[in-house]
Amino acid sequence: MDSPLSSSSSNDPGSRPRDAADRRRVLGDQVELLYRQSIQGIVASILIGAIATYELWSQQYKDLVIFWWVLTLAISALRLVLYFSWKKRTDTDHDKWLRWFAIGAFATGANWGFAGSVFFPSHADEQQVFLAFLIAGMSSGGIPFFSAVWWVYALYAAGIMIPFTYVLATFGNHLFAELAFLVPLFYAANVAVSLRLSQVFASGFRLRQAYGRLTEDYSVINRKLEHQLVELEEARRQVEASGRKLALFAERSPIAVFEFDPHGQVLTMNPAAETLFGWASPEVVGKPGIEFLFPPEIVPQVEKRWAEFIRAREPEIGVRYHNVRRDGAELICEWSMTPLVNAENQVISVIVQGQDVTQQLESERMKKEFTSTLSHELRTPLTSIIGSLQLVNTGVMGDVDKDILDLTMIAERNAQRLLDLINDLLDIDKIESGKFTLYPEMLSLDELVHEALALNQGFAERFKVRMEAVGDLPAVKASVDRKRTLQVMTNLLSNAAKFSPEGGTVDVTMQLNGGTARIGVHDRGPGIPAEFRNRIFSRFAQADMTATRQKGGTGLGLAICKRLVELMEGNLGFDDREGGGSTFWFELPAQQ
Amino acid sequence: MPATPLTRICYVEDDEDIQRIVRMSLERIGKMTVEVCGDPLKAIDVITAFAPQMVMLDWMMPGMDGPTLFKKMKEVPATAALPVVFITAKASKKELDELRDLGAAGTLSKPFTPKDLPEQLRQVWAGLPG
Repeated sequence: MDSPLSSSSSNDPGSRPRDAADRRRVLGDQVELLYRQSIQGIVASILIGAIATYELWSQQYKDLVIFWWVLTLAISALRLVLYFSWKKRTDTDHDKWLRWFAIGAFATGANWGFAGSVFFPSHADEQQVFLAFLIAGMSSGGIPFFSAVWWVYALYAAGIMIPFTYVLATFGNHLFAELAFLVPLFYAANVAVSLRLSQVFASGFRLRQAYGRLTEDYSVINRKLEHQLVELEEARRQVEASGRKLALFAERSPIAVFEFDPHGQVLTMNPAAETLFGWASPEVVGKPGIEFLFPPEIVPQVEKRWAEFIRAREPEIGVRYHNVRRDGAELICEWSMTPLVNAENQVISVIVQGQDVTQQLESERMKKEFTSTLSHELRTPLTSIIGSLQLVNTGVMGDVDKDILDLTMIAERNAQRLLDLINDLLDIDKIESGKFTLYPEMLSLDELVHEALALNQGFAERFKVRMEAVGDLPAVKASVDRKRTLQVMTNLLSNAAKFSPEGGTVDVTMQLNGGTARIGVHDRGPGIPAEFRNRIFSRFAQADMTATRQKGGTGLGLAICKRLVELMEGNLGFDDREGGGSTFWFELPAQQ
Repeated sequence: MPATPLTRICYVEDDEDIQRIVRMSLERIGKMTVEVCGDPLKAIDVITAFAPQMVMLDWMMPGMDGPTLFKKMKEVPATAALPVVFITAKASKKELDELRDLGAAGTLSKPFTPKDLPEQLRQVWAGLPG
């Protein structure tokens, strides 16, 4: 018999092991009931046994009665021992304890059966009545003690009834034969009562288990709920905190932040937006924002774009528009628009952020203009200066006094330095603003190195330094900007020449390693001072300011070279040269 | 390579100092005959009158820049076929390529070296079809 609770949960895939566990617990409860009641049963057995011994006592069957009485005590003692070992049990093997209990119960029953079958035929009529009464009492009296498990009772009662029925049936007396026929019926009726009782017990125990489980489940659910409540509360606090944070960001942000509805009406605007456009929030909120923020002539165009944006539902970033302030002043703003879309994919509102870039654009324009002016306006007079001085210095204008020539030489050299500086500054400006364009072509690197050597030979001679390639350079092709590669080579070669001792040699090497060509320029100069190593590639880097005057150069050369080589997907660096001096090298992707 | 050596050059340049340096370089070192024009708007007349073998144009000039003048020259029969060398402070390869696409015979960058200028021009001349 299943309880409604367990049957209702039988669809639950987890219920099967749970039901099995329940059945074990119910069995445990049944076994416990059997053992707990066994003390009273044993005591009753001993008491009734004592009365029976007294009643059946006769000289003739003295030995048999004593034997039976000892047997009763022994079985009772053994059952007591069993009871106490059950009490001290450490396992939950209910089947084992039930088995032992059943054996004890059967022994008890059989002991009474023995009394009935042995003493019934041998005693007088009154004692037979006493015995029949005793047998009937013992068998029905066992019901409350053994019915927790019906078959334990059935065993017990069978132990009593079977020998007694046999004795009655074989007594040879008509009345007793009839009784022998009735006794099994009594037995069956008793077992039926016991079965019913056992079922009632079991269902009671099941109910208790189910209730216990329910309470347990309830408390688990309760704990879970409590936990979820705590989490929910925490989540609410977090949402609240981030809401406050967000509001604070918008409020303190230097960027104008608006929230628009999909129709372009302003929902909210932050103080930066008020400051930028000169409108107070209550004047604008609830009104079409585009009309407030854009010059009238472009309003239709902006409205059209807005409608497209709402349809597309995609964020837009960095869109520039001409805008207008309340006082009519025009400005250029960079806008970012982020649509907030709900689960139905409808735009609920749009977060619009705007930044005034008028000044930034103006300064960019001015910088560009300045760079261009610098390039032209400085180079043009320098062209005249250098040109004039060269005409004098090369003797085209006839012989000049040596002292004057010294001076015009100095003037030309310094004008050239000024020009180099301008060119370097323009280069580095272009490189760093990302506007530098390379014109790569597939060139033979070895030829380019030889060309650079030829171009710088004259410069090296001024320092009484020789420059040469070491051995045959491997034939290597690379995709490089010819002019810029020559610039890098020239820079490294002229540095090496400047810092080489008089009469020294600058060695140029080239190796091909895998897909990389490495070009090295090796000198026997003083090497790179330790304190200069980490800033050698920064702007205006020179180890010693006096070197600037002695050796010339702008201090921008290596910075430019490194960036140029990197733009050509290469690498530039330096090492100490074995035996003194330095090696500057650069690597470029190349092929044979 | 043209059969005759390069001896007659017209130079259109607004900066008077550079005019003089170029003139000295070409006359003294290059032994050439040089006509200089300081106003690009009058350049076509000057060129037509002087009939040089080659024309040198500055890029940036007030009134009309070098490339525009070059296009105008192409429209005038007397100047259309003349080889033109640009001399410019604009050094970007993109701009130089544009000039070549327009049909310029060569480009020289400012600042130039007066000592080498006649030789550079002669190299451009030598590279022209005869």
